[in-house]
Amino acid sequence: MSRLDGRAALVTGGRQGIGRAIVDAFVAEGADVATCGRGERPPDLPPTLGWRQTDVSSADGIEDLRIEMLDRFGGLDILVNNAGIQIEKTLLDTSDEDWDALMGVNAKGVFMACRAMIPLMKRGGVIINIGSISGNVADPGLALYNASKAFVHGLTRSIAVDYGPKIRCNAICPGWVMTGMADAAFAVADDPDTAKADALARHPAGRFGQPEDIAAMAVWLASDEAAFTTGQCFTIDGGMTSASPLNPRLF
Amino acid sequence: MSAVPPDYLKDRIAVVTGGCGGIGRAICQRFHAEGAVVYATDIAGFDFPESRIHVLRHDVGSEEDAKAVMAHVEAEHGRLDILVNAAGIEIEKTIEETTLDEWNRSFSVNVNGTFLTSKHALSLMRKAGAGSIINFGSYDGFIADPSLAVYCATKGAVHALTRAMACDHGPEGIRVNAVCPGYVDTPMLQSFFGESGDIASLKQAVRDVHPIRRYGQPEDIANLVNWLAGDEARYASGQLWIIDGGLSAQVQQMRL
Repeated sequence: MSRLDGRAALVTGGRQGIGRAIVDAFVAEGADVATCGRGERPPDLPPTLGWRQTDVSSADGIEDLRIEMLDRFGGLDILVNNAGIQIEKTLLDTSDEDWDALMGVNAKGVFMACRAMIPLMKRGGVIINIGSISGNVADPGLALYNASKAFVHGLTRSIAVDYGPKIRCNAICPGWVMTGMADAAFAVADDPDTAKADALARHPAGRFGQPEDIAAMAVWLASDEAAFTTGQCFTIDGGMTSASPLNPRLF
Repeated sequence: MSAVPPDYLKDRIAVVTGGCGGIGRAICQRFHAEGAVVYATDIAGFDFPESRIHVLRHDVGSEEDAKAVMAHVEAEHGRLDILVNAAGIEIEKTIEETTLDEWNRSFSVNVNGTFLTSKHALSLMRKAGAGSIINFGSYDGFIADPSLAVYCATKGAVHALTRAMACDHGPEGIRVNAVCPGYVDTPMLQSFFGESGDIASLKQAVRDVHPIRRYGQPEDIANLVNWLAGDEARYASGQLWIIDGGLSAQVQQMRL
């Protein structure tokens, strides 16, 4: 028997990266999975999986997803709020349009998805939000992204407190995971290769994360093994943030 | 329903200190069920019915005992894959009521025990080529319960030590994490309840203040320790894993 047999799951932002790894891991554990993204259905997505072209920052998009979950599953057991965007700017460079775009997806999208899906979790349910180490400690030049992830961490605790024991809600806070988003962050460095080598040396695990590392935690949190686990933001970063950012070995 | 792959820890060699205690016992039995060979170490033990759980006498405050436990494991297997530092004691007093002997004894078990057992486990983990150390912190290492002063202090020390060990030994393939339980139904919790007059209403009040509306069972903690011990947690290191049914996600609740 698999760990998520027969559970109905929605993973937002499942086209690539961490979202796609979670989709694949949930499918491997027996879940019925639907996912969504702003683009068209990825050609390699297995045909049995639901795909919805959706912008989670739009109220219409969330309502469309809600109807889809009712039609497809008649309810929902697991929601993973993974969809997120990153804008590489400091505060003074950030425009109102940047705010609307980033907070629309990373903050309002998570809020609206939870508000729409919790009532569908008639048998109880699990919510897993993708936060970030950047919600706890600042990455330079990512002002709104950092703030949006702190929002996710705060909302995670509120949902756990207000909707327990029926709903469990936790966040996973990835560190540097090798996705398109990490490549974009390295690309703005003066010397991306040096920046990458320096970042690697700061990981006690000796490597960057892979999307599968995060998916493994999502499976555990979604399963009944985590029945007493709620209201937490769990960091998976290969040990990076357990060490001080001032690392004398790298001088 | 099994929530990790079957035989998740097949043929792994594990040492669990405090292995005959409330949470330690649940961890030993879970590891055994997942295919590991388990050494349950404790100051006063009992025999497990499981064939591959071996009990070793171990005062975790004693460096000689730590060496003897590791020498035993080395002689039988030549390596160690998993160490769980679960031995711990709790003294229910403010600092004013705590004697220096009680303070030292708490640090000896909760902090020195984690230090000494880990110190002498490292060479055996290098022989395995990788390892997972799981320390026992507590949610009391983040926020205080009344009249548990030295206990809170020892757990804060374990948290800091966990990060330091992860930082130092990560490059050798050794992951170090701490689990930080909240209220778990163990002899330690029953002793804590025992201080109060009306235990039934106290227990109900404790349940009600948890978002999950119950306190934890040793198996809840063993579920997380098991996950951290194995390869699913291969990128998880240096972290303090609070598992408390949502208790510390809230601010202190007023009776409204």
